[in-house]
Amino acid sequence: MGFSKRTALEEARRCPQCAGSECVKACPIKVNIPGFIRSVRENNTGEALEIIKESNCFPSVCGRICSAPCEKACVLKKEDAPVAIRALERFAADYGKQRSPNIRKENNGKRIAVIGGGPSGLFAAYKLAKKGYRVTVFESLEKPGGVLRYGVPEFRLPKKVLDSDISDIKAHGVTVMTNCFFGQTVDLEGLKKEGFNAFILATGAATPKFLDIPGVNLAGVYYGEEFLMRVNLMKASFFSRQLTAFPLGKRIAVIGSGNTALDCARSALRLGREVTLVFKNTEQEMRVRTIERKYAKEEGIKFEPLTRPAEVLSDDKNFVRGLRCVRMDYAEDASGKWKLEEVPSSQFEVKADTVVIAVGHVPNSNIKMFLPGLELDTDGSVVVDAETGETSLTGIFAAGNVVTNAQPLVNALAAGDSIAKGIEQYLVGVKNE
Amino acid sequence: MFEIVNRQILSEDIKRISVLAKDIASRAKPGQFVAVCPEEGDERIPLTIVDSDPSKGTITLIFHEKGQTTLKLGSLPIKENIYSIVGPLGKPSTVEKKGTVICIATGVGIAQMLPIARAYRNIGNKVIGIIGAKSKRRLMLEPQMRICCNKLYIATEDGSYERKGLATDILKKMINEETVNMVYAIGAVEMMENVCAFTKEKKIKTFVQLNPIMVDCMGMCGSCRVKVSGKMVHACIEGPEFDGHKVDFNEFKLRSNSLEELDEWYSQKSQLSTPIKEPGILTRFLWGSQKEQP
Repeated sequence: MGFSKRTALEEARRCPQCAGSECVKACPIKVNIPGFIRSVRENNTGEALEIIKESNCFPSVCGRICSAPCEKACVLKKEDAPVAIRALERFAADYGKQRSPNIRKENNGKRIAVIGGGPSGLFAAYKLAKKGYRVTVFESLEKPGGVLRYGVPEFRLPKKVLDSDISDIKAHGVTVMTNCFFGQTVDLEGLKKEGFNAFILATGAATPKFLDIPGVNLAGVYYGEEFLMRVNLMKASFFSRQLTAFPLGKRIAVIGSGNTALDCARSALRLGREVTLVFKNTEQEMRVRTIERKYAKEEGIKFEPLTRPAEVLSDDKNFVRGLRCVRMDYAEDASGKWKLEEVPSSQFEVKADTVVIAVGHVPNSNIKMFLPGLELDTDGSVVVDAETGETSLTGIFAAGNVVTNAQPLVNALAAGDSIAKGIEQYLVGVKNE
Repeated sequence: MFEIVNRQILSEDIKRISVLAKDIASRAKPGQFVAVCPEEGDERIPLTIVDSDPSKGTITLIFHEKGQTTLKLGSLPIKENIYSIVGPLGKPSTVEKKGTVICIATGVGIAQMLPIARAYRNIGNKVIGIIGAKSKRRLMLEPQMRICCNKLYIATEDGSYERKGLATDILKKMINEETVNMVYAIGAVEMMENVCAFTKEKKIKTFVQLNPIMVDCMGMCGSCRVKVSGKMVHACIEGPEFDGHKVDFNEFKLRSNSLEELDEWYSQKSQLSTPIKEPGILTRFLWGSQKEQP
């Protein structure tokens, strides 16, 4: 739940408004945090929202699911009680009303195509539209939002909130073309003929890493993306009007320790299943916020830390019966380093009817099919110029997880700023020639 | 957006619809498919583009009404809009001049085979078509296949039409009699496996089109994973056409097993629907049957 007005005011008063403002330095998209907290303290939520919107077009999204590096950098962190910046941002977004109308900049005749309507694509589009470019976003699903729509479950980010944020972006003059798969429905040559001057690649990293243990091809083994997509897009969420449109057993084992795994586990729990979370590391090493880990524990998800899945067991009908696991533990090897090693003869079985695998992502592999000649890293991410964000092909820029490869939301958004500058440079250069 | 302009019932629970989709129609190639979502919040299903007309801007889809989504799609009338169609997806099939090509298809696979047989014929191959179905009622697209094949053999399992038996039996006979340069097989998994096992012995190049479960059809979910020559690939972006001798059919069968389970799950009666009862007193009174009974 968000803050009430009284709690928000009390929390905002705790902010010391320090001169160094470590939080702004830590924030990848440089939101004026002391500024908006001051407005909240003065009981002026509308102004606070406007201050946030200067640099961030997703205030209500970031207010809910941001990984909040600002709170880690806060000076009050030493006293173990940083200012709840994320919650205050959510308060400002929920209760604030924008005073001044969205002013569309006069367009300067340059057209830019953004490929991928996910968070980083929309963010870059917003930044460029604010500078007066005519931006078109090409989205392959039926609604823009990308991972925020199909990935993040309803209980963490209501879709209504997302819709309101996106409609605000559209109000700045961004056109969104849905049902438009770049490379197949439209392609680079055709778009260049239509008169697009520059392209931004923001296809994200959504292809799941394949887990290589025996039995992953059994019926009843899902990958995290598929599971979340079925739950979110097909309205099988926990307030569902429809039945879940896919077979799901009573007991579910989720493999993985990231945000996707936790999202899968928590939404499966809301569908009324028994959930066990199996992962290799300790609980402290999980790549999620501590508070969400605590929520998950409170909700009743069984944690199996320091466990490595060895095999998916099948019954006689080729359905999943269970998961054979091996315990792991830290042990000192010959060189004196601590390393994860298997505990001998510690095999045990986790009973499960369905296994969901969420062990990480790699960038979408179809980019190299549709853009031959694009320079890629060993892990499949696009190589870009650090300052401008331009790829090895001229006129094509890249932003978001397709570059950084499975990073939190804010880090994916951060590329938007530098790309806006890079495109400006590029287009001015083209003009001079 | 995507308006249905034509709708036709082909055979028992198989329907054909033509949909207005300009961008897709102008770019569709044989072997590609579209992801269709009939209403908001439905499952997205992959359907092969059977025919496309760039001048009218329409694409033709043929589907078997067996699940919830296909039933809903089949019930949409003409002039109704489909919520979302994305495509054309997948790699187009590699059509080359080979000589004699056998196109073998069963069930709904005949619809998938039609554009491919047409493409092979247009390029100058001798196309021999073999189509099979359970009974005459289930057989579809026979006249269209007759036009685009040099020769057409038909097999029905119960012998209600033409030859009795399986389509693979005819294939084996044909390969023993004639020199065949290539085989293209689409249909049930067992049939494709049989064909591939047979052609591997004879060393004839074989292509198959796999139709696994897909959720987003854009290489994101991993539900369409198939093992091809020892490597996991997404059938939606690398396929759906694969070299039949490299596909691991055992693993593929495991996954298609769950597809059948899904259908079973779908066909369960909805708890919400009211059961059909004997007509009540009021109904019988209105019918006038009350008078007749003393």
